[in-house]
Amino acid sequence: MRLDKLHFLLALGTLLAVALPATVWTRASATRLTESLSKASDVATASAANEGYCSGNLKQILRRVLTSCGLIQGGGSRGCQPLQARQVAAMSGGDFNSLFAPLAERAAIIQFDLDKADLDPPAMELLEKTFADQRGASFFLVVSRASPEGSVEHNRELSHHRGDAVLEHIKGKFNDPELEQEVGLLWLGEEFAQLDQDFCKWRRSRTEGACTTADLNRSAFIAWIDCRL
Amino acid sequence: MRGWPAVLWCRIVNRQAFAQKEYGAAGVPRAALVSFAIFALLGVVFAAVSTYDFVAHLDRQVHAITCSIVPGLGPRDASGTSGCHVVLMSPYSSVFRSLTWGGIPIALPALGVFAFLFFRGVDLSLRRGVRRGETSFLIVAALLPVATSAVYLWISEVELGTVCTVCAGIYAASLGVLVTAIWAHLGASPTAAGTDSNAGQWLLYFLEGCALVLIPVMLYMVQKPPYPDALTGKNELRHPEDRYGVMLKSKSTGSVPAIEVLDPLCPACKAFSHRLAASDLGRDLALQTVLFPLDKDCNWMVNESLHPGSCAVSEAVLCAGEKSGVVLEWAFAHQPELLAAGGHGQAEVYARLKQDFPALAPCLAQPLVRTRLNRSLRWVVSNSLPVLTPQLFVRNHKIPDEDTDLGLDFVLARTLENSTGARGEVRP
Repeated sequence: MRLDKLHFLLALGTLLAVALPATVWTRASATRLTESLSKASDVATASAANEGYCSGNLKQILRRVLTSCGLIQGGGSRGCQPLQARQVAAMSGGDFNSLFAPLAERAAIIQFDLDKADLDPPAMELLEKTFADQRGASFFLVVSRASPEGSVEHNRELSHHRGDAVLEHIKGKFNDPELEQEVGLLWLGEEFAQLDQDFCKWRRSRTEGACTTADLNRSAFIAWIDCRL
Repeated sequence: MRGWPAVLWCRIVNRQAFAQKEYGAAGVPRAALVSFAIFALLGVVFAAVSTYDFVAHLDRQVHAITCSIVPGLGPRDASGTSGCHVVLMSPYSSVFRSLTWGGIPIALPALGVFAFLFFRGVDLSLRRGVRRGETSFLIVAALLPVATSAVYLWISEVELGTVCTVCAGIYAASLGVLVTAIWAHLGASPTAAGTDSNAGQWLLYFLEGCALVLIPVMLYMVQKPPYPDALTGKNELRHPEDRYGVMLKSKSTGSVPAIEVLDPLCPACKAFSHRLAASDLGRDLALQTVLFPLDKDCNWMVNESLHPGSCAVSEAVLCAGEKSGVVLEWAFAHQPELLAAGGHGQAEVYARLKQDFPALAPCLAQPLVRTRLNRSLRWVVSNSLPVLTPQLFVRNHKIPDEDTDLGLDFVLARTLENSTGARGEVRP
């Protein structure tokens, strides 16, 4: 067997034609890898929602309300009574209610019968639907009220029972291990921040018949708050 | 050496002047050898394209890849949905994955083999006469890419369910070299067949072939970037416990605790799950799944739905309970239709789910399952994970996102090794 130089030249040329690109491509990747390791990742990190309406003022009020109502610090007592709520909110009832205006899409009004604190089926359905729509919200606010009929003390108690009814239903239905850290409860009786006629446009558990302010205030206002405090 | 270019040129343009006595005058159809070289060159091109695409990914970044029967002319696949991408990222695109990051791309030795065949074709076609012993070597050599192509075609069809266009080019080139080698052999004169020099000549050609395959592989191994050790075990889950009861157990039989975060309509998650299932090391994992749909319908962390409809599908997976794996596999299998339906709204996806899984209808879109899905998202929030899928945690240590495709086996092997060594220090 005699092999000429052409054979070896061809073999060598072929080898170079294969080896050189493979080497160049591999080295280029190594260079890019070195460069990429020094760059910070631009992928967002998962976090709770913090919507545009979470102004500094709203957060401050919420923090005061939630702290004073035993939510954030996890105190033994749960809920704020009317006087406490008025003090921590440090604002008029109208201003207090207007804080929740941006929450129209996230809130609902659970309505009760006169002098009752029992949830009817539409109320349960709306409550479950609203609570299940948590999305990225960190806090669920329950603000229960009573219409002016009856004594102030009785209405205070009545609104307290209404708030509790909402809370108990959520507890029983959803078995949420973080419920204690999520739900803020205020019962206002008839004394503070009564809902006005504008709230008739909000989602309510009773949509049939006339909507009076008395109907509106025999209620528990519920809303997820998409703010990080 | 001055005269060699002239010799080469003259051999091509005036072959009559270079009839060589040592090769005899046996005639092989020149067209057969030229065709053989052309098919081999075709194989070189396709194997080079495939090698280039694989090697580009050694930087652990995402790259568009060639997926055209005419490389360079068709659009490159940047979405990761083509068959070429599936094959490239599959465990079959390279070997020795546990030993080196990404392994050795199978296309690189293929490149060497086709280059060797091209070299043989050119070498023989430049000669005046070719013995049958040499053409029979061509047939034997051509059997290697043909056999490999047959195996890979079977893997593509059966295991991966897709065929990559570039690979199809390699299969065609393999078949082409075999057919033309047989053609050349049939046209060769039988007079010189079986001469004593055949064995030595075959050995030389074999060694040349080995050199053309092994030298590029060795250069690749020497040049390829080392894996940065600092990346393994860098991130740990802050709250791995399943206090919300949202983790879905897979049918894996392994014992090493692992958590996979995925979106049922994410193509990368589907590919990743299949890679993990196909990996030997993946079988060591006791895998649990946390759903993280990147669909704004339920996920407030995305402004636009990357995978529309995945919230509804995730609900179905949760509703299925112990059969969640069945729904998940179904979702993987029907991703394109479900994504298209999701583009028209969740209602279409719910309708499709109810059609295929009527037993789940009473559970879908109900407050309880929505709350459970929300808790799945909140598990992701509580661990401050990046908003992307898929993600894998082994013994609560994150497998870097860039290592969930080509580098999976290598990094998984290291993670398992490290976590085994430090088992006492790792949370269960």
